Amino acid sequence: MAFKQELLKNLILSLRARTADACRFSAMSLQERKRAVKASADVAMATARGGGARWPKAILAAAGTTSSNQSCKVRSSRCRRVVRRCFREKRRGGSAAALAGSAAASSVDVARRLVRKRTMALRKVIPGADAVMDEASLLREAMDYVVHLRAQVDVLRRVSEAVQRSSLLRDSVWPQSALRGKEDSSSMRQ
Amino acid sequence: MSGRRGRISDDEINELISKLQALLPETSRRRNASRSSASKLLKETCSYIKSLHREVDDLSDRLSELMSTMDNDSPQAEIIRSLLR
Repeated sequence: MAFKQELLKNLILSLRARTADACRFSAMSLQERKRAVKASADVAMATARGGGARWPKAILAAAGTTSSNQSCKVRSSRCRRVVRRCFREKRRGGSAAALAGSAAASSVDVARRLVRKRTMALRKVIPGADAVMDEASLLREAMDYVVHLRAQVDVLRRVSEAVQRSSLLRDSVWPQSALRGKEDSSSMRQ
Repeated sequence: MSGRRGRISDDEINELISKLQALLPETSRRRNASRSSASKLLKETCSYIKSLHREVDDLSDRLSELMSTMDNDSPQAEIIRSLLR
């Protein structure tokens, strides 16, 4: 898949750029390094996607600002959102029961309100979807984002596994020359 | 970039809904697809995106830990590049 290859390329380039300044990279705290890798992955995904949707632009715009501040904000607002949602769901149970007693039209209102609430929640997890977007565009945006998120997960997993495997190879007792021979055959198998 | 103003037909929305439904994981699909409400679909999409976010976070964490033991001109970099093909 061309997108995955583009994403992988961007990711590798970005990570290499970060680690090229070895002093700075190793001087980073674990948290900073994690944030840097995550930022690289998101920017790589957004750049590889290009202009066909809104979310890539939103990611790149957010990355333009201080990335560490941004991710802190996103993280805490995600936690808050989960707590708020739990509270709302408890309350909803009570009010729905109360409404059930009244006319049928109210249940339509409840359904509509629920859709609106869920739509808002969906907007919050898709970058750039906060803006007023008609329902159809939001659904299209959601589909596009899901597809590319899955690709990002896949690429990250493969890179992690490759690095892990190569670390095991490196730490084994095989001499360097044998190591190189092994790599060539395994990469051809891929 | 410019959104299509003008009425979106119900058919178009339904088509989008079924396409989106097809993307979500098997376990969350209802047997009778027509009965799944819009709000249920929205909720499932939202949870799915959040779980993908979590996966990305976890994988990024793992990768950053692995990277701290990796050096630049190593055979490891070659292996990763070979993944591209």
